Amino acid sequence: MALAFDEFGRPFIILREQDQKTRLRGIDAQKANIAAGKAVARILRSSLGPKGMDKMLQGPDGDVTITNDGATILEQMDVDNQIAKLMVELSRSQDYEIGDGTTGVVVMAGALLEQAERQLDRGIHPIRIAEGYEMASRVAVEHLERISQKFEFDVNNYEPLVQTCMTTLSSKIVNRCKRRLAEIAVKAVLAVADLERRDVNLDLIKVEGKVGGNLEDTELIYGILVDKDMSHPQMPKQIEDAHIAILTCPFEPPKPKTKHKVDIDTVQKFETLRKQEQQYFDEMVQKCKDVGATLVICQWGFDDEANHLLMHRNLPAVRWVGGVELELIAIATGGRIVPRFQELTPEKLGKAGMVREKSFGTTKERMLYIEHCANSKAVTIFIRGGNKMMIEETKRSIHDALCVARNLIRNKSIVYGGGAAEIACSLAVDAAADKYPGVEQYAIRAFAEALDSVPMALAENSGLQPIETLSAVKSQQLKENIPFYGIDCNDVGTNDMREQNVFETLIGKQQQILLATQVVKMILKIDDVISNSEY
Amino acid sequence: MASMMQPQIILLKEGTDTSQGKAQLLSNINAVTAVGDVVRTTLGPRGMDKLIHDDKGSVTISNDGATIMKLLDIVHPAAKILVDIAKSQDSEVGDGTTTVVLLAAEFLKEAKPFVEDGVHSQNLIRSYRTASTLAIEKVKELAVSIEGKSVEEKKGLLAKCAATTLSSKLIGGEKEFFATMVVDAVMAIGDDDRLSLIGIKKVPGGNMRDSFLVDGVAFKKTFSYAGFEQQPKKFLIPKILLLNIELELKSEKENAEIRLSDPSQYQSIVDAEWNIIYDKLDKCVESGAKVVLSRLAIGDLATQYFADRDIFCAGRVAEEDLNRVAAAAGGTVQTSVNNIIPEVLGTCEIFEEKQVGGERFNIFSGCPSGRTATIVLRGGADQFIEEAERSLHDAIMIVRRAVKNSTVVPGGGAIDMEVSKYLRQHSRTIAGKPQLFINSYAKALEVIPRQLCDNAGFDATDVLNKLRQKHAMQSGEGASYGVDINTGGIADSYANFVWEPAVVKINAINAATEAACLILSVDETVKNPKSQSAQGDAAAGAMGRGRGGGRGRGMRRR
Repeated sequence: MALAFDEFGRPFIILREQDQKTRLRGIDAQKANIAAGKAVARILRSSLGPKGMDKMLQGPDGDVTITNDGATILEQMDVDNQIAKLMVELSRSQDYEIGDGTTGVVVMAGALLEQAERQLDRGIHPIRIAEGYEMASRVAVEHLERISQKFEFDVNNYEPLVQTCMTTLSSKIVNRCKRRLAEIAVKAVLAVADLERRDVNLDLIKVEGKVGGNLEDTELIYGILVDKDMSHPQMPKQIEDAHIAILTCPFEPPKPKTKHKVDIDTVQKFETLRKQEQQYFDEMVQKCKDVGATLVICQWGFDDEANHLLMHRNLPAVRWVGGVELELIAIATGGRIVPRFQELTPEKLGKAGMVREKSFGTTKERMLYIEHCANSKAVTIFIRGGNKMMIEETKRSIHDALCVARNLIRNKSIVYGGGAAEIACSLAVDAAADKYPGVEQYAIRAFAEALDSVPMALAENSGLQPIETLSAVKSQQLKENIPFYGIDCNDVGTNDMREQNVFETLIGKQQQILLATQVVKMILKIDDVISNSEY
Repeated sequence: MASMMQPQIILLKEGTDTSQGKAQLLSNINAVTAVGDVVRTTLGPRGMDKLIHDDKGSVTISNDGATIMKLLDIVHPAAKILVDIAKSQDSEVGDGTTTVVLLAAEFLKEAKPFVEDGVHSQNLIRSYRTASTLAIEKVKELAVSIEGKSVEEKKGLLAKCAATTLSSKLIGGEKEFFATMVVDAVMAIGDDDRLSLIGIKKVPGGNMRDSFLVDGVAFKKTFSYAGFEQQPKKFLIPKILLLNIELELKSEKENAEIRLSDPSQYQSIVDAEWNIIYDKLDKCVESGAKVVLSRLAIGDLATQYFADRDIFCAGRVAEEDLNRVAAAAGGTVQTSVNNIIPEVLGTCEIFEEKQVGGERFNIFSGCPSGRTATIVLRGGADQFIEEAERSLHDAIMIVRRAVKNSTVVPGGGAIDMEVSKYLRQHSRTIAGKPQLFINSYAKALEVIPRQLCDNAGFDATDVLNKLRQKHAMQSGEGASYGVDINTGGIADSYANFVWEPAVVKINAINAATEAACLILSVDETVKNPKSQSAQGDAAAGAMGRGRGGGRGRGMRRR
């Protein structure tokens, strides 16, 4: 489609390869963009809430993912449309920042777009709508702040944290043992948290999974789990009070980095070289022994000769341990990573109360537990489950729970879930709308209506009558002026979310509203799409 | 008939396309108007954005005139001039890129009827030049200086300028927040001309309100080796060593080969290599530095060595970041670890590694020289942050401009209306054709308020009439009235703090007039045949059609 015509209808060629470009402008562009955004939201809508369904996604290589996590679904969908991509990024951004509520934010944005479409049909300028949304989002965020409650907890009393994590986990496939998983997540976060600085480095929590066993067998290890076994089958399987040498150099004769060549022209020279090599091995093992190491963890491999020697000298060893794990082991055991045998000193050894090898089921797979470490600032969550997909999904769910716990440590405030917060905001925004003169008022009301869509989707997914349920809860909230009433998804018999213990973090909810508004504004502001026609 | 008898003279290579005369001029004007129409809707606080796919499939969403013009990939020779003026406006003042394109297109549009009526284009050019000189003088006269105010007051005024620029952008909803941030950043670097001292780092995720300003340097955690996590992550008043060498165990010389005939010497070679690197590391430690940054890699050995001695290190730091640390902390980048004297070490109040969204950031704050600032931008989507960065760039440029020559004019179309009125009045004092031309120039200036109204969905004619009435008042009190974007009426822009630096307007008027005159002065285009390229047909076809159109029009008129 050409960009411009002269008086005689002949097109100017202004742009390169103009014929191949398409241009969509004005209200058509907005409508098309809104449709694309809504389509994405529609896909995720059924995944919301405790009764939400999972999606099965097949990757290009035939690998299958089953998940309920919004960010993961969108990531795997491989969206091509630009506006849809914005929605994907929206969800990813919620994932980065908060880690939870990735489905909710997309559903919210979809609802806002749907409402915007109606306002556009009324002839309201798209930017006025966007501005109205922004005003409304500010009102909503303030209101959330008002209805939020502070949770008091400390290292010993972490029950409130567990409750909040359980809310997150209840929408996942793992909800049958949500209590256990929530406890694990909270304990893990508390173990690595820097409560003074309110900072949690999630890198220090390792999440491992192995197929087999039950979900109930999932455990938290105050220490490190390494998917490796002892380098020699006859080495001891259990070491108490281990002193660990953490090495990044291989058990082999050192090699200069500069290109080198050893000229060997006589048998004697060969003999000396051979002897020297053996001596190297001997010295290395001796060095480790001398400093008092009872276990060697090595980043590199060592050949059979070294292995034999280690076995012979009764020094258990683990080889081919990855860099990240090595680092975690070092942190956990309070040891130092040693790059050279000459640098080994007793102070640099890591200490662990118990190192044991454990085999699983009937399989030959074994893993190494390093427990009772000197410094328990690194922990591992070890997930068991029936199949690989289950473990992957559990990992994602645990990640969400970890993020929730971290957010609570950062900011103690919570709001009530089950759509209660959205309904309360909707009421507040609706009430505030009348105070704004000008066209924005309509947009603000539309925003209030869009907020209703989250509890509506919750009710829908739970098999309740969406409109009936929503209006009942809404009137209840308004009548008693209590913002705790939400959708009773689990059919417990009460709408009071305090009794049901359904909590969400305040910053998570605020972020959802702000992010959704931001992206919707961006979409509404586009009135011209110029693209190559193949798109 | 006569021409048929004469032998045809072939001057140009076959396939060369020429077009000339009035028809060509009109065709050029039409093309320019078409381009102007593309960016038209992005003007002002109610302006819309464009979404542009390029050939490679990457996508930009932007409101910035220069960015859009660049991405449109314009091939029409006359229209290309508009791209150039947008670019020059961008590099000169940084803002007003849409304005300049719009003005140029409008000047030409106004000139078109005169050209059609047979006015010689040189006449038009001369009058336009006079008009632009007059207009600029008027702008200078109307400008209000903000010089001589206290720092606090000035900051507030500068923030107003920045807010006006930002109001048309995607981040307009938080314009006060960002305007203050931009002003603080610009104030921090002071008189220094290097714009690179203000770093903008983009971190996807979060909300734009989570963006923050660091009075120092911030950059993303670099790639790290095992052992990094054992390094301390926070220092108070650390010494900072900046390096441009590799701290890694590797062969010292490329292509060198060592030949050993005695195997017992083997160990000595190994030791020699280790000693070289240990020597380097020792020197770093001896210097007393607590933070070691290098542009090149810092290997795992060095990482663990530093971790052992409670030193923080980061390798592969981007050059611009390293330079900014050098400028901020007051150190110099070393290319050798020998002779590190205390003077080359930098320092700052707090160094910390912090979590920002999904990334970890190294933040140096409270630097002694204070000559640098970093804005960490947060936002929901990549496109969003990209656009936010462009918007902030505009705002930074505007503030810097306003700091240098601190005169401002009322925005919202007020200054354009006032200049237009002045030119109209002036034109009445001239006898002869220029009266008409200057009048049309004055009319063209009104495009700014008109477009502002159109984009906001107001009745442009209605608003413009109200504005004309205000500006025509003898007392001159209506001089700063512009479009009120909220109510659809008119308001005093100056009192509502819709301000732009005078230099933006001056530059825009200048550039747009220049461009218009340039296009008006072209009466012939010669296009050489494309050499065997795939685009040859398309481009030649374009010119052919352009010429055909011109000729057709010419014939009809006769």
